[in-house]
Amino acid sequence: MTDQLVDAAPAAPPTDREASARRTARRRRWRRTGLLVLGWVAMYLLWEFGSWWYGSRLLPRPHEVLAEAVEIVESGNFVTDFSASVLKTFAGFGVAAAIGAPVGYLMGRFDYWRAFFHDGVTIAGTIPAVAYAVLSLIVFGLSNLGPILAVALVSTPYVALNVAEGIRGVDKSLITMSEAFERTSHQIRREVLLPTIVPFVFAAIRMCFAVAWKVEALTEVFGGRNGVGFQIRTEYQLYNTAAVLAWMALFIVFMLAIERLVLFKTEARLLAWRPDERSSAL
Amino acid sequence: MSSTVQATVKRRRSTSEIEESTPAWRRRLTSDAAARVAALLSFLVFWSLLALLFERVPGPVEVVQRLGDEFSRGEVFGNFGTTLYRFGIGLLLATGAGIVIGVLMGLSQLSRAFFESPVLVGLSIPAIIWAFLTVMWFGFGDMSPIVTTFLTAVPFVIVNVAQGVRGVSRDLRDMSSTYDVPVIRRVRDLVLPAVTGYIAAGVRFAIIIGWNGVILAEWFGGGGGVGYRARFWYDANRFGGFAAWVVLFVGFIVLLDRFVLDRAIRRAFRWRDG
Repeated sequence: MTDQLVDAAPAAPPTDREASARRTARRRRWRRTGLLVLGWVAMYLLWEFGSWWYGSRLLPRPHEVLAEAVEIVESGNFVTDFSASVLKTFAGFGVAAAIGAPVGYLMGRFDYWRAFFHDGVTIAGTIPAVAYAVLSLIVFGLSNLGPILAVALVSTPYVALNVAEGIRGVDKSLITMSEAFERTSHQIRREVLLPTIVPFVFAAIRMCFAVAWKVEALTEVFGGRNGVGFQIRTEYQLYNTAAVLAWMALFIVFMLAIERLVLFKTEARLLAWRPDERSSAL
Repeated sequence: MSSTVQATVKRRRSTSEIEESTPAWRRRLTSDAAARVAALLSFLVFWSLLALLFERVPGPVEVVQRLGDEFSRGEVFGNFGTTLYRFGIGLLLATGAGIVIGVLMGLSQLSRAFFESPVLVGLSIPAIIWAFLTVMWFGFGDMSPIVTTFLTAVPFVIVNVAQGVRGVSRDLRDMSSTYDVPVIRRVRDLVLPAVTGYIAAGVRFAIIIGWNGVILAEWFGGGGGVGYRARFWYDANRFGGFAAWVVLFVGFIVLLDRFVLDRAIRRAFRWRDG
């Protein structure tokens, strides 16, 4: 009797219900895509309206900026300036990891160092980017070191905080066990702590990437010798707004591509051995 | 063998025993407060070293002197007032618009699809571009810093508020739609109380980001204000005066964050954390 009920119930209606559910889902997906497109169209129209309102000298029309971008890509400057900017950003990350990771290690392991660095690390997050940019220029003058220092200053607190978090999350029983088996502290650091830190350094870099490349470009705007920010300033001084926007648009697209394609993928690989945390982080 | 056993035995003292055996002066020296003082002192030492190493970097003493000069010249309060006025208006507009759009995005999937890309684009455009553009559009005045603050800050408010609204209990939302509760009441009685904390967090982000925007716009736009005054000293190659202004505008935002925003956010999230 009960078996019959259980068997009989799902027989006829599901195909119908499933089909209608699928239809609703498809319709919803279509509506979603349509609205996504509508969002872009609205932005485009707003831009066109703006350039009509202010005149194309103050706000060039989208296709003018596109033409300018194509021209920049076709000329050689594109590659040299972009690689200069990207290299400086990553050099800054290198410095940030080299300083931030030990600081984070100290903060995670000892209460004293935690209290020592805590204020500075939290305050550093609220300092406006323009302060970092101009201070780096004062220290190094017009050179490539300025942007690197600015990126390092912005990213180091993120790295330190993340690494401290990671160190405190290390499985304490692993350390106890290593001690019980008389591993040296060097070995513990290498085999237990370091593998735990690396993903956290990487997560920190991915988190602050969006801030870091803006600071890098800003420092170049104030006083760089090459790079995207330098080009933006040069074009701004020539009142060539279309070129300013074209450089910026190219840079945004390029950086978003790096963020999505390179950083996310590498992080996923680095974190592949710990599926739990990966899924909870998302 | 016996020595290692003894070593482990030695290590296994209870924490209270360890605490009692350390002398008082040592405990005081390793306390949190002492660590903070030590951090401050080492920062000052580091700064002085930097000033010695690089001749362009002004030392702490010089900066304090310049700070005093600016106060006695009466430049500080006027310029800060101008900047705060512009910043306040831009922030108010950004908060209002951000809450409206964020609530819409959180409540309906479709409006989220519509606003998704504009918000993403808005998040990725640097403040410097807005500063350049608005200075060209509006010239040297209040308008350019206000609009720059608004445009740099608004995506952050939207993202936070949308996140908060999406976190509102699904059951309560379904129930209110089943019982045909009017949208205005739904927003007022269900959504707003739950998202206050997220709004506060978004506004805090907006303040930190917008402060950078307003200073940049004043830097390039002129027409008075903190950024203009900082640029004045920077262009004059008088880095002492410039550093004094950096201390002022960094100190302002740090104190605001520490003593106002942090507390407000903790208050707003009381229902969750308490």
